[in-house]
Amino acid sequence: MPVPPRLRRLTTAALPVLAAVALTACNNAAYPNSIFHNHTEFNREVGTLFKILIYLGTAVFIFVEGLLLYVLFRYRRRSESDRPEHVHGNTTLEILWTAIPALILAFIAVPTVRTIFSTQAKARGDALQVEVIGHQWWWEFRYPQYKVTTADELYLPVGRTVNFSLKTQDVLHSFWVPQLGGKRDLITNHTNFLWFTPDSIGVAALNGMCVEYCGASHANMRFKTFTVTPAEFEQWAAHQASPAAYGAIAPAAPAGAAPATGAAPAATPAVATADTTKRGASVSAAPGAPAQVAADTGAAAATVQQAGYVSYPREKLPAWTIPKTPTPAGLTFNTALVGNADRGLKLLSTGQGGCVGCHMIAGNPVMMGVIGPNLTHVASRTTIAAGLYPNDAKHLALWIKNARMMKPGVIMPTLGKGQYDPVTKAVVPMGLTDEQIADIVAYLQALK
Amino acid sequence: MATTAAAPAIPATDSYVGTSGVWSWLTTVDHKRIGTLYLFTSLFFFLLGGLEAGMIRWQLAVPNNHVLSAEAYNQMFTMHGTTMVFLAIMPLSAAFFNYLIPLQIGARDVAFPRLNAFSYWVFLFGGIFMNASWFVGAAPNGGWFGYAPLTTLQFSPGLNIDFWVLGLQILGVSSLAAAFNFITTIINMRAPGMNLMRMPMFTWNAFVVQFLLILAFPVITIALVFLQFDRFFGTNFYTIAAGADPLLWQHLFWIFGHPEVYILVLPAFGLTSEIIPTFSRKPIFGYPVMAYATMLIAFLGFGVWAHHMFAVGMGPIADTVFGVTTMLIAIPTGVKIFNWVFTMWGGSLQFTTAMKFAIALVALFTIGGISGVMHASPPADLQQTDTYFIVAHFHYVLFGGSMMGIFGGIYYYYPKMTGRMLSEKLGNWHFWLMFIGMNLTFFPMHFSGLYGMPRRIYTYDAGQGWERFNLTSSIGTAVLFIGLLIFVYNFLIAGRRGAIAGNDPWGAGTLEWSIPSPPPEYNFARIPRVTSRLPLWDVKTPTLNAEVPHTDRGDRRLDVDVGTKHTGHSHPNPANSYPQQATESGMHIEEATGKSAKDLGIPMPNQTIKPLICAAGLTIMFTGLLFIHEDKHSLAIATILTGALIMTMSLYAWVLTPLEDHH
Repeated sequence: MPVPPRLRRLTTAALPVLAAVALTACNNAAYPNSIFHNHTEFNREVGTLFKILIYLGTAVFIFVEGLLLYVLFRYRRRSESDRPEHVHGNTTLEILWTAIPALILAFIAVPTVRTIFSTQAKARGDALQVEVIGHQWWWEFRYPQYKVTTADELYLPVGRTVNFSLKTQDVLHSFWVPQLGGKRDLITNHTNFLWFTPDSIGVAALNGMCVEYCGASHANMRFKTFTVTPAEFEQWAAHQASPAAYGAIAPAAPAGAAPATGAAPAATPAVATADTTKRGASVSAAPGAPAQVAADTGAAAATVQQAGYVSYPREKLPAWTIPKTPTPAGLTFNTALVGNADRGLKLLSTGQGGCVGCHMIAGNPVMMGVIGPNLTHVASRTTIAAGLYPNDAKHLALWIKNARMMKPGVIMPTLGKGQYDPVTKAVVPMGLTDEQIADIVAYLQALK
Repeated sequence: MATTAAAPAIPATDSYVGTSGVWSWLTTVDHKRIGTLYLFTSLFFFLLGGLEAGMIRWQLAVPNNHVLSAEAYNQMFTMHGTTMVFLAIMPLSAAFFNYLIPLQIGARDVAFPRLNAFSYWVFLFGGIFMNASWFVGAAPNGGWFGYAPLTTLQFSPGLNIDFWVLGLQILGVSSLAAAFNFITTIINMRAPGMNLMRMPMFTWNAFVVQFLLILAFPVITIALVFLQFDRFFGTNFYTIAAGADPLLWQHLFWIFGHPEVYILVLPAFGLTSEIIPTFSRKPIFGYPVMAYATMLIAFLGFGVWAHHMFAVGMGPIADTVFGVTTMLIAIPTGVKIFNWVFTMWGGSLQFTTAMKFAIALVALFTIGGISGVMHASPPADLQQTDTYFIVAHFHYVLFGGSMMGIFGGIYYYYPKMTGRMLSEKLGNWHFWLMFIGMNLTFFPMHFSGLYGMPRRIYTYDAGQGWERFNLTSSIGTAVLFIGLLIFVYNFLIAGRRGAIAGNDPWGAGTLEWSIPSPPPEYNFARIPRVTSRLPLWDVKTPTLNAEVPHTDRGDRRLDVDVGTKHTGHSHPNPANSYPQQATESGMHIEEATGKSAKDLGIPMPNQTIKPLICAAGLTIMFTGLLFIHEDKHSLAIATILTGALIMTMSLYAWVLTPLEDHH
């Protein structure tokens, strides 16, 4: 296989990048969202400009405050009878302190304008296209070239320019990964663009966040970004584009509304576009689902293919990407309950809990909602609720039981039977029992 | 409210003979009493906004905290911003405009005394209206900037935004009425000889600010009326489903919002320009440049609004233009800083509390100015906007700038307002606690911002590198509170226990110090005649003040021959060149006589309750709209009509009542 030019570029850039990583890695744990750790050409350019500003600003600060302190000390009143001479001005001086700041500003303005135009130039044609769609309060990421739709976790191949088109479904949001680039606002009825080229796999797991106030849970609208090797990315994308890893059923006819390739029969992944031929090898590799799941369910799961790289390895997640949000007091779940994925699948497929209204699970013809996050490969994600909680059985169960207590203002209703819904201010009479929730969790956890 | 209850605590003095009691405060048209009302009311709101800030810092002190719910926090930060901007700093400035402008230009009152009272009552009712939202559990929660479409009915169906939209419109009426009043006052009521280039620096700044107000407030009023119509009458200015462009709101808001920054800070600059010369015993360095810089800042301030929007994707051309205009504004601002420093250069600096606050303004505003230039650069701003770096920046501008200047102004002018001195000892504690607390609170925010902490988040996760900065900020806020409590104590007891001030406790040079403290209701028994910028220094240190360069234009109004041809060129101060004429015409010192306006035969405007009733009618009218969203349409219409009726009737009665009795 010939080495793609972007990989060659990467190799030539590897040494300085590694050096930079070595220098910053130690600090990254302390300040994981620092704007001084730059892993794209976009951010490096902005960072250089910012450094000019900081150095000049510091110099001006020292000069002005130093002058002020000198004056305060030198001209303090020594005697009550001091009668200083009345000086009313000095034209030369006043011209000087008009002209010198003007020169300093010109010195800032030139690189500023250069950076404005270089960072806002058109993205290169072969860029990876990613659509970012803001929702109250989660992120939808679509990769139209790969027919992938996912939520709250962004995978980006190192060395390839990624061109984001930013839109919002409701109010304004703003997209920011401090160490990669941004911010760019998501403006209703507008499409904004932003592009950059991630170039570090040393610091690969990064936090992103919404930085435009967007209502109750603005603080809880976070996301993760993983910069991976191009090969890993291709495998990840192929897997994400495939139908659900568990319980997928071939629909009678292609579902028009489905954005993912889930419309095609599960056993033979769609090979409809030029992209897919490129990744064909990894898609068809290693069919078969995890053993314990297969044992549970039989036919349906066994037909689903398994990609090599499914998600960022949990054990390698740095501490700063693992949410530590405490769960609400008074909300508990019996973790001893062991769910059954098959029963969970049936519950969802028969419309229990109302999940079908909002969520999509490609390959499951009942689950075609487009309001909430796409759950086709929900188990491959490291977090739930837009980066608010780790994606594990306990948090998933609590989330299904009472999402509105877990995340203020969230649109997802409280589903647990007998739970208090803080929005409607009433107890849910006909909800899901803990046993049912455990089954649903087992199903969702099978959706690798 | 507490404000009206607290107001009579001002000691009754000779100047208000026969006019004490609550009723006299409700009916007053005296600019000094209205200024006092403004001062008390806005200090109350400042404390309220401070408490809101305290709640915010308490919640953010540690990660994943539970002091406030998300909803409560969002209301808290919205009301903190709204309160501090519209109910604290603006009216604190208005308190000084009211009190000082007539005194500084040698007038007996403002041009429209009853309109002045109306402005105050509208402000008070607007503030009460806005805060009444707390009591129905629906305080505004859309941010002080109220970005559409979050503030449209679809995303904010509650009363929260209704209170905000209507409250701001009520407050806008107050600001506009006051602005027209002060412009008319400054243009028409200056004493003979007080030409524009002899006006004290504070009046200059106040003058420019009034133009900013009348040009900026109509823009936000349009934005608010659109939103109000969307919310109440189903129009589609910001309705996204109907294809609205949310940037309409942002442009309108920031065309108002940026000049608003200068509305907030220029009055404090004016106070600083009064304090520094007095305690340096030197006139302001480069007076004309200071005046022109103020005008230039105000002018450029209207051309930089989109620097609040570098992240919205305006394109490289707009980013370049607004980036460069924003950098330009640093030049006149820098000129002011250097002129203050060089006013002190060669002076004899006396570090009174007022002076310390003024110097703190110079030092702290410089920091805010420098970080301001950092985000004037659009690409660099992308890493700063909507993070705590910005919160740090504008608190250095608004706390380090506006509030430090205003506290300086309070220490400086309290003796003039009450006749008694604030304690310098307590003032020293207040200053240092506030200075340290301020830096402890806001400096770490630069770092939390640079380390990626977004603004307006009610909670944040542990392990993001933000803990220590947030905890430091919260501790700093506690220090600020201690300082503030000392100030409140000082402020309240000095009215009774403070040392007697006399006319001119500081050795200042401007007209307001030539009359007794507190000034009699008529201010000046004789209208002063002005021959220079520092008429009092002409009397007290004539030899030092000999070379004040100024034109002789104002002298024509004095109707005296000062011995030179009217060339329009600079010439030495006539007070010294021709002391005989000048003394006869202009020198002015009045000792307290205890005589009332009636004794002296000076016609003063009559007290009247009508402006208060009119303001109440206006507020009732707006309140009626709230019932629409409760689906009580007949109640809404009844309330609106009642309010309108009260307003029009009282307005008629007001117009038909003569301003003053003819003697």
